[in-house]
Amino acid sequence: MKQEEYFTQLVREHKSTIYTVCYMFSQDEEEVNDLFQETLINMWKGIDSFREESKISTWIYRVALNTCLLQERKKKRQVAKVPLTMDVNFFEDDDANAAQVRMLHQRIGKLGLVDRALVMMWLEGMSYDEIGSVMGFSAQNVGVKLFRIKESLKKVKE
Amino acid sequence: MNFEEMRTQFAILKDQLKKQEIVSDHLLRATMKSKRGSINSTKRSCYIAVAIALMMTPLNFYTHAWSLAFSIVTCLMLIFCAVATYFIHKPVDNLNFMRDDFATVARVMAKFKKQYNQWLYYVSPAILIPWITWACYEFAWKHAPEGVNPLWMCIPLIVGAVIGGAIGLYYHFKAVNAAQDIIDQIEEK
Repeated sequence: MKQEEYFTQLVREHKSTIYTVCYMFSQDEEEVNDLFQETLINMWKGIDSFREESKISTWIYRVALNTCLLQERKKKRQVAKVPLTMDVNFFEDDDANAAQVRMLHQRIGKLGLVDRALVMMWLEGMSYDEIGSVMGFSAQNVGVKLFRIKESLKKVKE
Repeated sequence: MNFEEMRTQFAILKDQLKKQEIVSDHLLRATMKSKRGSINSTKRSCYIAVAIALMMTPLNFYTHAWSLAFSIVTCLMLIFCAVATYFIHKPVDNLNFMRDDFATVARVMAKFKKQYNQWLYYVSPAILIPWITWACYEFAWKHAPEGVNPLWMCIPLIVGAVIGGAIGLYYHFKAVNAAQDIIDQIEEK
């Protein structure tokens, strides 16, 4: 399979994961678009190294989180901005589902960057080992941190 | 607020996203047009500055504004600064989006900040004070017309040094603050 086809397939399969990370680290739709495209560019640049990776989800999370973290350093866009093809706007739509998603965005947004990343990966269903490999923590440390986040979230008033 | 509620909301988000196309062919084509490898503008700026300085050195043989020794030392100083900048920035430029975890990013940024500050507080004064003193001697004392106090001729050099220093400090703190922002985000200070 040609590299372009492989990349296209990869992105289409994992578009919702990439979007979720970008959405949780953004304050508006335009920022999501920017981060999404920046993440795709970083994935494309590293597509060769990805072939060596065993876990797709871990790799995608690592690229997306690093992109969100280092976005300020890399302000220059290398390609023209292209809008995402979306029928919904989670920042503005009024229906019940969008409201629920917005509530999740607000809840996760109250957390610090590391806690936000931990919670997102946990919600994604990743194992403590996988989360630890993205964050640079041991699996045990991930467990302790998630427990603390759970406890602190219980005290937060909506 | 608890994790189970969040899990339900996360499932709703995923379900909503599954129904969306999100990625257009246009977006993918635009992405794949992007060049591989990062462009290091800082390194490039340093190389350009050194190249210009080196190219200007031969002019001195005609103008005799500065001594040969001063010109050579200035060129060596610029080359040293460019090489040092390259090595200080290298670990940051080499941060790998595909491989490095948050802990690694924080460590690299902390080292970058430390080296930048060491450069500002120790290396810059050690290089610049003797160089500016020498420049004043070369420019003012050697070329002052009779009856003119050489100190007055130093004023343009000092003004230039202050402007250059202010620009340098601006870029220094811009880089250090950017590194600190990333460290703060990771360590949640």
